[in-house]
Amino acid sequence: MKNNKMSAIFSNQHEYKELKPLTDERSLSTLAFAGKYRLMDFPLSSIVNAGINNVYALINQEKVRSYFDHLGGGKEWGLDTIGSYQYIDFYQKIIQRQVSGEPYFADIIEFLKTTSYPYAVFIGNKMVGNFDLQSVLHYHQENGNKITGVFKKVKHDSLAFDDQVFVLDNNNNILANQQMMDTQKQFEYNLSLNIYIANTDWILKQLEKAQMSDSTADISKLLAALAAKYRSTAYEYTGYLRNIRDIKSYFDANMDMLDQKQFASLLQGNQKVITRIRNEVGNYYSAGSIVKNSIFGTGCRVFGEVKHSVISRRVEIDKNSWVLNSIVMSSVNIKKGAHVEYAILDKDVTIEAGVTIKGTLEKPIVIRKYDDVNDDWIRNRG
Amino acid sequence: MKNKMLGMILAGGKGTRLGKLTQNQAKPAVPFGGRYRIIDFTLSNCVNSGVHDVGIITQYQPLTLNNHIGNGASWGLDGLNSSATILQPYTDSRGSKWFQGTAHAIYQNIDFIDRQDPEYLLILSGDHIYKMDYELMLEDHIKNNASLTVAVIDVSMKEAHRFGIMNTDVSDRIIEFCEKPEHPQSNHASMGIYIFNWKRLREVLTTAFSTNDDMIDFGKDVIPYYLKSDERVFAYPFSGYWKDVGTIDSLWAANMEFLDTDNALDLYDRSWRIYSKDPIAPPQVITDNAEIDNSMVVDGCFVDGTVKHSILSTNVDVKKGAQIIDSVIMPGVKIGKNAVIKHAIIGENAEIGTGAVVEDEKGKIAVVGNSERVGVLQNEE
Repeated sequence: MKNNKMSAIFSNQHEYKELKPLTDERSLSTLAFAGKYRLMDFPLSSIVNAGINNVYALINQEKVRSYFDHLGGGKEWGLDTIGSYQYIDFYQKIIQRQVSGEPYFADIIEFLKTTSYPYAVFIGNKMVGNFDLQSVLHYHQENGNKITGVFKKVKHDSLAFDDQVFVLDNNNNILANQQMMDTQKQFEYNLSLNIYIANTDWILKQLEKAQMSDSTADISKLLAALAAKYRSTAYEYTGYLRNIRDIKSYFDANMDMLDQKQFASLLQGNQKVITRIRNEVGNYYSAGSIVKNSIFGTGCRVFGEVKHSVISRRVEIDKNSWVLNSIVMSSVNIKKGAHVEYAILDKDVTIEAGVTIKGTLEKPIVIRKYDDVNDDWIRNRG
Repeated sequence: MKNKMLGMILAGGKGTRLGKLTQNQAKPAVPFGGRYRIIDFTLSNCVNSGVHDVGIITQYQPLTLNNHIGNGASWGLDGLNSSATILQPYTDSRGSKWFQGTAHAIYQNIDFIDRQDPEYLLILSGDHIYKMDYELMLEDHIKNNASLTVAVIDVSMKEAHRFGIMNTDVSDRIIEFCEKPEHPQSNHASMGIYIFNWKRLREVLTTAFSTNDDMIDFGKDVIPYYLKSDERVFAYPFSGYWKDVGTIDSLWAANMEFLDTDNALDLYDRSWRIYSKDPIAPPQVITDNAEIDNSMVVDGCFVDGTVKHSILSTNVDVKKGAQIIDSVIMPGVKIGKNAVIKHAIIGENAEIGTGAVVEDEKGKIAVVGNSERVGVLQNEE
């Protein structure tokens, strides 16, 4: 058992200005998903489901509160037991250290040396999927790789400008890595899911070498380059995936969960997606309420109509109101006769009686956290 | 800070009148209100009242209960100055120690209580649905300089004969106690909630058991003895929602009361939250075919059929065309296509097959036992 042990580096480095205002006060990692989860639940659950209990989390120093609020002591993920460790550090520190000429990977190196497990996993924060890291490890061992990258074949519209894509030969050997914005337009891309497994001894040397030669402090980039340099084979992930990078991809990912197959593939697979425990009472659906094709967190009360929507915890939907094609975050209050369509209502929003919010599929309207909306907001095109 | 009051929850009851639902688990473990098990109310009351050390005495079929309570983390009882301890019967050099009654169960756990060394002992039953602040009761107990305080609730005179009735004077001091009296003189019914000065109770129990003058039960033996020996015994009047869900009818009715939006228990009140073990189930899914009316649905449910005036607990699967009306569906139940369930309680993890029908008989609530199968669940898309 111990010979196959992995330690994990969970990097929350990705943020996109295209996700504002949803990420004004929280990080991308702690964005609400499917009425119950936060985006970080997916990488973190993948980590602990693979039996990993030593985690080094690199977080965004500007959004500390949102991580700690969700992660707490890591109890739900079993990261608070004896023999398990979670270290938290700021990824900005790595960059600052590089600027001031210090050994910028020193803390990560220290972590990998301390845990002294034979394998190390690196995983990012923005890919929504259910990743079986044990089978990636098996693949890594069978192929005798020093480092194994995980990829999925995707179309152009699933990519962010800063994503790493692999150029592969027919045997999935990585020939090169490129940043998305440097690629030629092609039919399909081998998107790096920003998940890597490496032999710890080997990656320790590589990290030391990198910081000595002052190469990139961006670990995602460094690992993609290493995987290409050593011509290692890549593991193809074929399950559900969304690459969260803007409002539209965030909206679409949530709406995906209204499809039973995609819901089952992401949330009801062999690996349980673990999230913070909230003690809420069940949902009450009144006589006269109409609810179709929607998913809900708990603690909601519904007196109105909800169709094709993702509703989070403790949402109140009053009589004669309706919610259609929308994402509603926790503790939102939709009052009598209000209409909400193609919208994302952030936490603690109130839509006053009779108010209409109407966006479009391409451009859902986002209402900011705590906003009390008294006036109609209708977007007809775009 | 040492906690001066220790809570002891008597959770060993079989709940015989719940029939099939308690065949493989004790009554306090019976699911309730979609998200809870009955004992959650008492445990949450403890935590909300500032009682942070709790012993849970189990005996009958304790597996579900033990698994549910664990180390008490779900109620925040796993902290530095808090604890949840499950107490099961054990043997020692003098032989086996099955608990013969409520007081005997406390006597058998004297070692545990001594370790906690409380000033006051709060005796609770794990069988009831209610919200109560035990701290207020303790304040009363101290103010009255009482040796024992018994929480009482006023029941209708018509029902009084089913309860232990306390006759009190103007200062709420109990002057007489009648267990299930034929001609009740008052309607102050004991709720089975007691605060004892532990030092005195310890003395009374050890003396009694060492002289073979056994005190088996609080109601039958201890309270009468206290009254006889002129101890200061007071009633603590409680008004509010309190339900003993001891029968199929009362369990069903108490569940259904939740569906009244202004029900007295008000579980949406955040100032007195009821905690439970969270199974971390996926969000609930309501499909295009679903019709939900006046019902409560919780995490992990998949609803593709019709649900009217019913409660669906965690991870219930309702297939297309199924109809659930006036019913309580416990966790993990699978309901096949076109099945019909009316006026029923379906036990945990039961399977109601494709097209099967479960209905009440002449108004008598239908009950399907835990893990019971009715009909055949066809494996279809």
